[in-house]
Amino acid sequence: MTTTVAPAFTDTPLEIGGRVFRSRLMVGTGKYKDNATMVRAHEASGAEVVTVAVRRVNLDRTKEDGILYHLDPSRVFLLANTAGCYTAEDAMRYARLAREAGFNEFVKLEVIGDQQTLLPDTTGLLEATRQLAKEGFKVMAYTNEDLITALRLQDAGAVAVMPLASPIGSGMGLVNPYHIRVIKSRLSVPVIVDAGVGTASDACLTMEQGVDGILMNTALAEAKDPVAMAHAMRLATEAGRAAFLAGRMPRREIAVPSSPTTGMLA
Amino acid sequence: MIAALPRLHAVTDDRVAAAPDLVAKATAMAAVAGQDLAVHLRSRALTGQAFVHTARALAAALHPYGSWLVINDRADVARAVAAQGVVTGRGGLVPADVRRVAPAAVVGRSVHDAAETRAAADADFLVAGAVFPTTSHPGATPAGLDVVRTAAATGHPVIAIGGLTAARTPEVLEAGAHGIAAIRALWDPVDVAAAVAGFLDALPTVDLVDVEINGEPRHARRGITLAELLGDLSLDARAVVVEHNRHIVRRDTLGTVRIADGDRIELVHFVGGG
Repeated sequence: MTTTVAPAFTDTPLEIGGRVFRSRLMVGTGKYKDNATMVRAHEASGAEVVTVAVRRVNLDRTKEDGILYHLDPSRVFLLANTAGCYTAEDAMRYARLAREAGFNEFVKLEVIGDQQTLLPDTTGLLEATRQLAKEGFKVMAYTNEDLITALRLQDAGAVAVMPLASPIGSGMGLVNPYHIRVIKSRLSVPVIVDAGVGTASDACLTMEQGVDGILMNTALAEAKDPVAMAHAMRLATEAGRAAFLAGRMPRREIAVPSSPTTGMLA
Repeated sequence: MIAALPRLHAVTDDRVAAAPDLVAKATAMAAVAGQDLAVHLRSRALTGQAFVHTARALAAALHPYGSWLVINDRADVARAVAAQGVVTGRGGLVPADVRRVAPAAVVGRSVHDAAETRAAADADFLVAGAVFPTTSHPGATPAGLDVVRTAAATGHPVIAIGGLTAARTPEVLEAGAHGIAAIRALWDPVDVAAAVAGFLDALPTVDLVDVEINGEPRHARRGITLAELLGDLSLDARAVVVEHNRHIVRRDTLGTVRIADGDRIELVHFVGGG
C-alpha cells in the first residue's frame, strides 16, 4: 500500500543570477581516487552544480584525461573555477578561457592571496569581480567570512557571494557561524558557503545559519567512502535547511521539564 | 591530420624487433629525421607482454623527436602505448575495427594488388608493395611501380615498400608515392643515421616552424590552421579551448587562424577541481 505524504515544509527554490537550481548542495570534481567513484558520489549527493578547473591539456597523454569524458554536461551544471590564480589578471584570463568552452556565463571566482591558507586576496577579487561582471560574467565570488568584503563584492556585481566555513581542504568545519549569519542577514544576493566542511554535522550546522547553499569537494573526495559521505551530506544539507526554516526553540540556561509536574504520586 | 604522415617508414621484422639495439637504432634515426620518420613495429614472434614492452620503449624513444610509432596488426597495443598509427593487411583487422579499438590512431592498410587496394578504401593511408625484388620475400615476383600507381589513384597517401633504396626513391615518388618504407636498407647499416639521411635527401621533407605549446618548444607544420594543429596533436577541438598569442580563439574560427613561427599557443580543458 502506498500513502501520499504532504511535504513537511515548503522552501523557495534557489535562484542565482536568474537561474534556478534544484539542489542547495554543490560539489567539486577534484582529488577523487577514480572517476567512477566521483560520478557515483555526485549521484548520491543529488547536486546539480559541479565545479571544474581549467588547466593545460597534457600533450603526452591520451585524450581521455579531461573531466568532460566523465561528466555529462546535460545532467550537471558545470561551474568553472579560477583555482590556483594569484592575481586578478590571471583569474580573468582563466574565466574567459572557461567561458569559451561554451557551457555558461557563470564562474566561481577565486583570487588566492596566500599559499599556506589559500585565503583570498580581496583586493584582486574585487577588481576581477567588477571587470568580469562588466563583461557579462555571472560571478560567484569565493571570499573569507568578512561582511565588508561581502558587501563590496555584491556592489561590484557578484551574483552570489561564497564565504568560507574554514580554509579550503582543511575539514575544520564552520569556525565562525556568527559572521556567516551576519553576512547572510545583510546581503540580497545568495550566500553559498564554500570550503572547509569536514562531515555531515558541519554541513547541517552551516545550513542552519540560513545560508542559501553549500559547496564542498574534499569532504567527499577524501572520505573513506565518498559515495556514502555524499549521501550523508545530502541529508545533512536538507536537514539543516529544514531546521533553519522551522526555526529553532529559544536557548535557555535552565532546564524546563517536558513532562507534567502535576499528578505525581504522593 | 594525415598530411602529417611521415615520409620515411622504418619497418621492423621479427629479427630487427628482437635485436637488443632496436631502441638505440630507432633513437638514432629519430634524431636525424624527426617528424619525417615513422617506425613500424611488426613482429609475429613477440608475445603480448613483450610486444607491449617493446612498443612502449619505442614510443618513449621516438616521442621527443616527434617521430611516429606505427604498430602492425595489434591495435590493442597501439592504444595501450598511444601509438600514432596502426597498419593491418590481408587477414588482419579492417580499418573500422582498428578505429573501434584505437580511435586516436591513423590507420594504414597494406595492399599488394588492385583488388586489395579497392578493398582498402576506408583506410587513412596505404602501404603498397612489393615494388622491387626484396630479400624479405626471395623468389616472389615484385608488383612493380603499378601497385604504387593504382594505390595513389585512390587519393590516399601511399607508402611504397619492397626493395627500396635512396637511389630508387625518385621513381616511386614519380609514380605517386607520398613516402617509402624499408627494412634492411634502414636497420642493417652500422650507421643507421647515415642511411636515414640518405633517404631524406631523396624525399620531400616536412616544412616546420618553431612554436611554443603549453610552455614547451614544439615543431608544427608551416602555415597550418589551429584546427589542423589540434588534429596533428590528436586533440578533439570540442574539448579544448585555444589561446593564440594571448588571444582566445573562438571555436568556430579555429579553421581560419593560421600559425606562424614563434607563436605561443595555450591549449586548455576542464579537469577536476573544487
